[in-house]
Amino acid sequence: MKCEQIAEVLPDYLQQGLQGEQKKTVEQHLESCVECSEVAGLWKKLALIPDEQPSPAGRARFDAMLQAYQAGQGSEVVTRLASDKRASIWNVIQWLRSPVGAVAWSIALVALGTYLGLQLGNPKANSQDLAAMHTELTNMRQMVALSMLQQQSASQRLEGVTWTRREEHLDPQVLSALMHTLRYDQSVDVRLAALDALSRHAGQPQVKKTVVDALQEQQSPLVQVALIDQLVEWRDVEAASGLEKLRQSPNLNPTVRQRADWAISKLN
Amino acid sequence: MLQVRDGAGETLGVLFERYHAPLYNFYTKLTGDRALSEDLVQEVFLRILRHRQTFRDGTPFRAWIYQIARNARIDHFRKSRPQVPFETEMAPAVLPGDPAQQQQESELLHRAMMELPEDKRELLVLCRFQELPYEDVARLVGCGVATVKVRIHRAMQELRQIFHELQAAPANSTQRAAAQGFPPRRMT
Repeated sequence: MKCEQIAEVLPDYLQQGLQGEQKKTVEQHLESCVECSEVAGLWKKLALIPDEQPSPAGRARFDAMLQAYQAGQGSEVVTRLASDKRASIWNVIQWLRSPVGAVAWSIALVALGTYLGLQLGNPKANSQDLAAMHTELTNMRQMVALSMLQQQSASQRLEGVTWTRREEHLDPQVLSALMHTLRYDQSVDVRLAALDALSRHAGQPQVKKTVVDALQEQQSPLVQVALIDQLVEWRDVEAASGLEKLRQSPNLNPTVRQRADWAISKLN
Repeated sequence: MLQVRDGAGETLGVLFERYHAPLYNFYTKLTGDRALSEDLVQEVFLRILRHRQTFRDGTPFRAWIYQIARNARIDHFRKSRPQVPFETEMAPAVLPGDPAQQQQESELLHRAMMELPEDKRELLVLCRFQELPYEDVARLVGCGVATVKVRIHRAMQELRQIFHELQAAPANSTQRAAAQGFPPRRMT
């Protein structure tokens, strides 16, 4: 047997994985080949390198690490429960976005509408039941709106904004999604629609703040002018400093600057 | 390990007792740095705690733990290249009754190992010192069993060559190793 052939089986021989005839063949080769014999000898000699003993402090460090980890896990469970809750809401939205979900909530809405119609037609209808139905319908609409605001297509997001207009009082989650849309949506049309929808919720303190913040962030002159007009309509005196800041920003569109000047004069 | 995965953190203590010394030796033979090896062992057990959910029933545990150990070392050296100079204290301990020649050979072997390229040294450490089957090593390094055997053979041939060089001029090689830092050769 040649060295090249031995190379294929020598590692097995070294790990004592060869038996019978194969083992005998390798041993015969090793007797006649100095190089391979040295390799085999060196493998055995590697046992001369003794094992090191880790320091006893390692165990103490490990125990401390384990204790710290387990202590941290308590608070992690609380966080996890909160995130699970968020995840479950997200799962519902995801389900509603799926074709099956869409069909299901459409049927549910039709059924609910029919039931409501029948109940309203009945003078003996229980007002409590009606209130519960109304709440349920509102929740469902808001969930649909929330789901649509997260769609890929701009027209669907636009539709989502339209859904939010159907409700007088928005769920904080929907309101937050709407404010997010105003600030970060890629489409100017969707951002403008979101501003229009938000204009009905000026009573919420975070809405006005978001509009003022958006003033500094937006690059589109169309949106900037719409934001300025909205702040004037609200007569938001506190927005004057934000408008001043915008007016002084370099590379500002002249029309926007002119509009900001006009707004400042109106608010002061 | 299944108990650890399912949340019984105390069971990890048993695993620590069983594996911390082999892991420590895996690292000392690879890096030649005791303090770093201690740190990396701790890192491995922290990673086991964090990633215990990724352990699948039926997976060979030794292969899994060495996979974590390899990753921990790779991540460490990705952040900082090894700067530890050759430590003479890392040379094998003198065993009582050791003949002088055996002691010298042991020292030379240790140095020869440290002069091997990292990937070859790692293969030898896994197969020769940690006694992992070639199948497990193949899974660890992501290649076929036949490839592992070929690489082992090549690593042994290179080790033999370095060993001969060191035997011819042990003093010079020590200085060379000291000048180059540890580990002296890069991955090939």
